[in-house]
Amino acid sequence: MATGWDSDERLLADLGAALRAEREVPERFLEIGREAFAWYDVDAELAALTFDSATAPAGTRAETATLRALTFAARRLTIELEVTAGALVGQVVPPQPGELEVQPREGETRTVPVDEVGWFAIRPRPAGLFRLHLHTAESDVLTEWMSTRVPGSSA
Amino acid sequence: MMLTMRDDPTVVALVERARDGDRRAWDEIVARYATLVWSVCRRYGLTGSDAEDVGASVWLRLVERLGSIREPAALPGWIATTTRRECLQALRTGRRQIPVEDDEFPDEEGAASDEWLLEQERHIALRLAFAGISERCRRLLSMLFADPPAPYVEIADTLGMTVGGIGPTRMRCLERLRDRPELVALRPTAPTSGR
Repeated sequence: MATGWDSDERLLADLGAALRAEREVPERFLEIGREAFAWYDVDAELAALTFDSATAPAGTRAETATLRALTFAARRLTIELEVTAGALVGQVVPPQPGELEVQPREGETRTVPVDEVGWFAIRPRPAGLFRLHLHTAESDVLTEWMSTRVPGSSA
Repeated sequence: MMLTMRDDPTVVALVERARDGDRRAWDEIVARYATLVWSVCRRYGLTGSDAEDVGASVWLRLVERLGSIREPAALPGWIATTTRRECLQALRTGRRQIPVEDDEFPDEEGAASDEWLLEQERHIALRLAFAGISERCRRLLSMLFADPPAPYVEIADTLGMTVGGIGPTRMRCLERLRDRPELVALRPTAPTSGR
């Protein structure tokens, strides 16, 4: 890579630009980054987002009653979510009972039950960024971070 | 997006330490790359709480992947790509409800984006190198690259040196900067690369 830094003038100018860019970053922005480490969890298995109707091609979008559908997959189970007007409802597949912790980035963690057929409902639906931590007899699974924002709506 | 990342042993070490739960290593990762995240947000016109939401998403996604990152050296590229995706998502679903299509940012996938990212990487290296030189050199160089640059008389007065000494000192300080490992790593090494 040709940096042009053999020239004192060029090196000094680039250095100035680099340091000015750093000074533009608000302290709050850095703080948010540092705070994120508090969410580091080495024990739970990560369930990755494998489907999101908000980014899926037309034709594979969710049914009309559902504003948005998401699927998170771990090794031995998947969590299917549907965003409706007032709630976030879902199903653990294969069906199994357990507990689901709703962990918002800001605000209190709450717990909802997962029934015998794997159903659960979170009301009202979480605002902002959050993730779900599922505890069942066999699994300890954490979803990726998500929000229930619906494309084209201000919710 | 094609990326040409060099191995950066310090990034690898930082990621490994953070993976083991070392908060200081994580803070250093944030200090190093927050400017990159911020700059991508600015490119997409996001500021204030919109940019903060994007930043939070990027860092949380990095935290959840700490255990599974296979190539820590490719971190800057991953951060830039993830931030870009979060910015587009924020623009699509955000308060302003501006319909956004990916092709409104044609440069992002192409060569211009790679060039931009390489420049960001050079900036990251420059900031790290700058932090590694002496306080006296940092003060002198800061006065020199100020916009407008401070007059030599003022620099001499502030740093307690003669006006005639500024030129040679400036040269020595820039030489120290070039010799920092962060900048040495960016030097072209192949004999065919021009110099």
